[in-house]
Amino acid sequence: MTRNPVPVFLLVAAAVVVLAAGPLFLPPFYVRVGQLMLYSAGLGLAWAILGGFAGYASFGHAAFIGVGAFTAGLVEARFSTLPTALLLPVGLLAGAASCAILSALIAYPILRLRGTFFAIAMLGVSHVCAEVTNNIDFFQGSMGLNFPPIAPASWDPANFFYEVYLAAALLILLVSWQIRRSRFGAGLLSIREDEDTARMLGVPTERYKRTAFVVSAVLTGIMGVIYAHSLGYITTESVYRDDTNLSLIVYSLLGGMGTLFGPVIGAFLLVFITQVILGRLLDFHLFATGLLLVILVLAAPGGVAGLLKRKRAAT
Amino acid sequence: MSLLEVERLSKNFRGLAAISDVSFAIEAGTITSIIGPNGAGKSTMFNLITGYLPLTAGEIRYRALRITGMATNRIAALGIARAFQIARPFRDLTVFENVRVGALFGKAGPRDVEATTRRALELASLAALAEQPASSLTVGQLRHLEVARAIATRADLLLADEPCAGLNPTETAAMIDVLRQVRTNGVTVVLVEHDMPSVMEVSDRVLVLDAGRLIADGPPKTVATDPKVIAAYLGTPDAA
Amino acid sequence: MNLIAQTLADGLVLGGIYALAAVGFSLIFGVLHVINLSHGILVLMGAYLALIFSEMLHIDPLLCIPPVMAVLFCVGYAYQRFLIQHAVDRASVNSMLLTFGVALMLQNAMIWVFSPDMKSITPTYAFTSLKLGPVNLDAVRLSALAASLVLLSCLAALLRFSPLGRVIRATAQQTMAARLCGVNVRHVYALTFAVSAAFAGAAGIVIGIILPFSPNDEGGWTLNAFVVVVLGGVGSPAGALIGGLLLGLVSTLTAQYIGPAFPNVTMFLLLVLLLLVRPNGLLGNAFAPSR
Repeated sequence: MTRNPVPVFLLVAAAVVVLAAGPLFLPPFYVRVGQLMLYSAGLGLAWAILGGFAGYASFGHAAFIGVGAFTAGLVEARFSTLPTALLLPVGLLAGAASCAILSALIAYPILRLRGTFFAIAMLGVSHVCAEVTNNIDFFQGSMGLNFPPIAPASWDPANFFYEVYLAAALLILLVSWQIRRSRFGAGLLSIREDEDTARMLGVPTERYKRTAFVVSAVLTGIMGVIYAHSLGYITTESVYRDDTNLSLIVYSLLGGMGTLFGPVIGAFLLVFITQVILGRLLDFHLFATGLLLVILVLAAPGGVAGLLKRKRAAT
Repeated sequence: MSLLEVERLSKNFRGLAAISDVSFAIEAGTITSIIGPNGAGKSTMFNLITGYLPLTAGEIRYRALRITGMATNRIAALGIARAFQIARPFRDLTVFENVRVGALFGKAGPRDVEATTRRALELASLAALAEQPASSLTVGQLRHLEVARAIATRADLLLADEPCAGLNPTETAAMIDVLRQVRTNGVTVVLVEHDMPSVMEVSDRVLVLDAGRLIADGPPKTVATDPKVIAAYLGTPDAA
Repeated sequence: MNLIAQTLADGLVLGGIYALAAVGFSLIFGVLHVINLSHGILVLMGAYLALIFSEMLHIDPLLCIPPVMAVLFCVGYAYQRFLIQHAVDRASVNSMLLTFGVALMLQNAMIWVFSPDMKSITPTYAFTSLKLGPVNLDAVRLSALAASLVLLSCLAALLRFSPLGRVIRATAQQTMAARLCGVNVRHVYALTFAVSAAFAGAAGIVIGIILPFSPNDEGGWTLNAFVVVVLGGVGSPAGALIGGLLLGLVSTLTAQYIGPAFPNVTMFLLLVLLLLVRPNGLLGNAFAPSR
């Protein structure tokens, strides 16, 4: 897989240059699609650190998008005298910290659950966070929270956020790549395959699971903070979304569960399908995502990566 | 000092005694077999030593260090490895990647990971299959994989749970060979085994469990003729 | 005092319905080990079918229970046989995702057909009510509770005494042994699914006469079923009843004394707590093989 790292590295570098230059030649609609693709890819990668590598598929990662976004908004409101350029870093720090604290707190109990129980319990976490945000006035979830414009005056905000998303997605890709090739990553994979056996071989399964959970939550929270800024105004409904909870799983399924680039491929494909191909048929999105999920489970459990592998094995 | 000391070990499952008051010690560099009829508590013994199950009473010491109550992964990190009877490979990983997990973790941590992995594969005669996915191996090969993965942890003590069960004579002979190789490499082996010819052939010493009690302990020849052991396997004349 | 009694009574009625709405989910979980995330869809199908039948034929909605159950029995059988069976043999997450995909598609389809608006079924006796001491119970709620309890008892009897029930229990406990005894496991799985779908449909009708419903509720009903099963234990009508009543009481008490917005918060805290203390629910798995 990583036997020829130089070509893969060059390929990625070329792709990054092309992607970064995107706003120079893309029409505005496609810049927005690009934003969504990069946002989704980043989220998919963050999700996969726990769901793909360690096999703990979460149904509730929108919890961290919401917690990150609302913390950032509330903290930034306290620091409104800061120069604009510092607002996003402050927000990112606050959002990441709150996600780290929340995930570290719930990691111990929730990671005792396995498989479907873990998945559903995470959905519960997401719903509880949403309700708390919505019903306690302090969080302003039902009223909504404003974010100051942070794009430099000379820069079109859409293009600016496109580049910010790209940077964040790359950061998350880098983290996943480092994890995948490390001892930690091998430990996570062995947990996914057979947790008891992994422990018998000396893998500190509990600590690894907790670490993966916190890393995944923090990276998701970072994406949430950027998302909130790009929207400019958020409510509970706009960040704690059940379709996000679902999409994160579909990205990995579509691209290839547990592979490094799987979530990226999946996110790009799904966003392309829903935004470009079905762009005008808003009523049809849910149906299409559902149909895709059914087809994937029945026909291509390995996703795109699985199909490629099968093809390579056949030739 | 013995490598492993088990002292007055007992384990109850809801009041039912699976192991009662068993003591023994394992000397470094030996191959010891634990035999006994079905339900005698052999696999439970392994589950207790590896910390997979909590024990009811007694103490287990490894290199004079008390390991009772330690987490499974810490015990593994001290140098006790286990090969399962029903092989539990990491199915989606290749043979090499499977063994590599053992080398990355286990005792002494990640030093010379690739070399350790290769050595373990050689030892278990799996080198030719290194790049195959584990899910494509035969039952016999999977047993070798279990041993290779355990050895790759650089364990000093290998607990092998019925490595020969269900294997044909050729495969059994190959497995016995592997276990001898393992011992030659300085690893102490404890086997749970049903296949009597293999036990007699490979073991330096045999422990016999019956209904959770240790009823015999000695060289294979002596144990095989022990009337208590024969009774345990065949039933006492008046009971039968 | 009156308030407490009234709240408890409301909680019991709600609990009975939760139990009925969850029992099918529980059965599928216990026998097939599938988390059916399209369960809420089956419940809503029952509600919409009853709405159509009762308006077309001008009959009492509770009289629609037999035909609706018959329709959903067939739907459930086909659903399992043609779709879910293909995912059952693989990892458990796969069948869960499959049912999730189906739920999304059908929810979307329901919005097209029935509009996203709230609907309700109004029986003729909608405004009759009964006073039991300090507690007010209208005829609708009372008949809903009665219908729930009768249906749950029927299912319990079916599982306990009928040959079908025996085969289902045997398959759940020892799939391989049942297969060796000549049981057609796929057929039994499909029948289990059919029975579960039928009871989900019946639950939909009972829900329809006391609560408004819309296609967007399906996720809520699925989650409720999940919570009930975790609280009460997998696979038995008795477990569903206990879990359902517990959930009903917790919901109404929270809504009354903590705030109408927080039933879900308490529900999930309760759920996670219980999963930690007893990973198999209060009653455990009714079908767990005995050792």
